Amino acid sequence: MGSKEMILRLQDVSRMYEQGQETVRALDNVTLSLEKGEFVAIAGPSGSGKTTLLNVAVGLDRPTQGKVWIRDHYLNSMNTHALARLRLEEVGFIFQSYNLVPVLNAEENAELILLLRGVPRQKRKTAVLQILEEVGLAGLEKRRPSELSGGQQQRVAVARAIAAEPALVLADEPTANLDSETALSLLKLMEKLNQEHATTFLFSTHDPRVMKRAHRIIHLVDGRVDRDEPQPSHG
Amino acid sequence: MWIVLKIAWRNLWRKPRRTVLTVVTISLGLALLLIFFGIGDGGHNQMIEAAVRMGSGHVVIQQKEYHAKGGIDRLLDIAQKQRAEEWIRDMEPLFPIQHILMRTYASGLASSSDGSAGVQIIGIEPQSERVASRFDDKLIAGDFLDSMSGNEVILGEGVAQRLDLGVGEKMVLMAQGAGSTEIQSQLVRVKGILRTGLEESDQTLVLLPLAASQEFLNLGEGIHQVAILMSHSGPSTQVAEMGKKRLPSLEVLSWGEAMPELVDFIRIDNGGNYIMNIVLFLLIAFTVLNTLLMSVLERGKEFGLLHSLGLTPIKRFLMILLEATFMAALSGLGGFGIGYALHLYLNIHGLPLDLFYSGELSAVGVTFDPVIYSDLSAGRIFSSLALVFLLTLTLGLAPAWRAARSGNIHLLGRT
Ligand SMILES: Nc1ncnc2c1ncn2[C@@H]1O[C@H](COP(=O)(O)OP(=O)(O)OP(=O)(O)O)[C@@H](O)[C@H]1O
Ligand SMILES: [Mg+2]
Repeated sequence: MGSKEMILRLQDVSRMYEQGQETVRALDNVTLSLEKGEFVAIAGPSGSGKTTLLNVAVGLDRPTQGKVWIRDHYLNSMNTHALARLRLEEVGFIFQSYNLVPVLNAEENAELILLLRGVPRQKRKTAVLQILEEVGLAGLEKRRPSELSGGQQQRVAVARAIAAEPALVLADEPTANLDSETALSLLKLMEKLNQEHATTFLFSTHDPRVMKRAHRIIHLVDGRVDRDEPQPSHG
Repeated sequence: MWIVLKIAWRNLWRKPRRTVLTVVTISLGLALLLIFFGIGDGGHNQMIEAAVRMGSGHVVIQQKEYHAKGGIDRLLDIAQKQRAEEWIRDMEPLFPIQHILMRTYASGLASSSDGSAGVQIIGIEPQSERVASRFDDKLIAGDFLDSMSGNEVILGEGVAQRLDLGVGEKMVLMAQGAGSTEIQSQLVRVKGILRTGLEESDQTLVLLPLAASQEFLNLGEGIHQVAILMSHSGPSTQVAEMGKKRLPSLEVLSWGEAMPELVDFIRIDNGGNYIMNIVLFLLIAFTVLNTLLMSVLERGKEFGLLHSLGLTPIKRFLMILLEATFMAALSGLGGFGIGYALHLYLNIHGLPLDLFYSGELSAVGVTFDPVIYSDLSAGRIFSSLALVFLLTLTLGLAPAWRAARSGNIHLLGRT
């Protein structure tokens, strides 16, 4: 394990929220690290801190205590602008809903990050068409989000996250709005891309069926890592 | 950068009805603004034109202090007249001049068998004055003076009425002559009657051929005034300034200096128009602000998404400003189109004010044409467009700032 490339590292991370008089400890001394190519689920009941963990991991939120690295970037010492830049270069996102810019079609949405990164047009086109094909959306490139089903929209989001070949893809309950059939096929797609592109995935979920497809599960309880275990059935 | 432009443009058409309504409102506001300017400036120019043609001319040359003090003895002699003419000749290639008019002025008394009236006796050169002052249009009885005219006069309508005189009838003019305190008198015959549109003139005007007036008033070859009429009033001040330098011993005045009360009136009238303009601006401002704020507020999630995808706050800020710019551009185009079309119509057909008022229209003694022809300068168009742009962009700043900030809404979870 030690010889592999480190993608994400949290060390003694806590995140406190002031809620009126009392303090909510959304994350409590979390330490964990992810290596290149891992396919990891964060599991835990509602309010256990899954979302907070993902936010803090990519600098959308700052820890109250503790340190965070993405590769060799030390997030604590970066300003908002540098963090935005870092996310653009290193992180792909898949959200639970509202993943796509409504006024852009599937192809343009998938292309967005490449575009913001300044990848030349021809390279962009090729990459996007190929990835849309990979996620099974060939022929639907020109559709706007409102003309796609929920599952198809999530696939566009996956395509966008992958197209830019980020170090880390982050997904907060990516399947929560999908029926279990569609959810499972989205997971299989993510797994396939994880294998083929060696992209690191970190996603949160409630769903036991989704959880089972992860190669490693981190269980959160009250903001603490309760268990962190590999799934023997996988890699 | 292109993507920001693309998203901004498409966002504009996300709620097409709202966008169209906004653009139409701003367009109409701008069109109204242009029309107000066109009618306002048109009306003022017509007043200036009327006053200038009947009164001072665009630029006048006279003896020092003649404007303030008058006096039959403040004459331009032959040498001074020649110097004035030389200057005008030198200047003519730079500023097209239509007419040069020589005049004498005297206050006097006109008497008929029916009574007497105080009058302003003006000696003129019939041929050039007839064309310059468009007297043929204003003659309501008889004929205008001609080169053969001797002791013949043209009366203002009011004078003719008070003295109960008609064309061909005789009357006596009395006035103090130059170089003495003696009162001169002269029997003259009415050749025509005028309605000038200038209230004061109509009540007091008596026109006499220049030569006859010089003889009657003992002026010799002297005159009181050289009036210059140009093709338009624009460069009056500039020309007058040049004259002041070239003819330091004489009094050279622009129409504005000769008729300060007209300048004041126009300034006050413009002030009234500016209040109208402010109301229009507020209307535009409210519409723009409402539309932009609404569209930013309902897109909180979208900004969150763009934020997490790496669209920097500056780009989100720009995006909203671009939306505002597109809106301003469309409105500018629409407003200019409508406004300019209306202006062209009103420039040719005029706006008949007697639709709104009955009776005579007059201000500072100038009775003006009840039909106003719109006059819209490039400067007015440009500044109106610039104002709409500036206003829209300025009002876009707050929503844009919001868009830049609202990206911090976390899209992860918290649904
Ligand atoms: N911005 C905030 N202000 C105050 N409290 C917060 C904030 N964000 C999260 N919390 C609190 O922190 C705790 C963890 O929240 P978090 O959203 O991370 O949980 P979660 O595991 O993602 O839950 P869910 O499964 O419902 O999405 C909760 O008690 C929540 O109320
Ligand atoms: Mg959550």
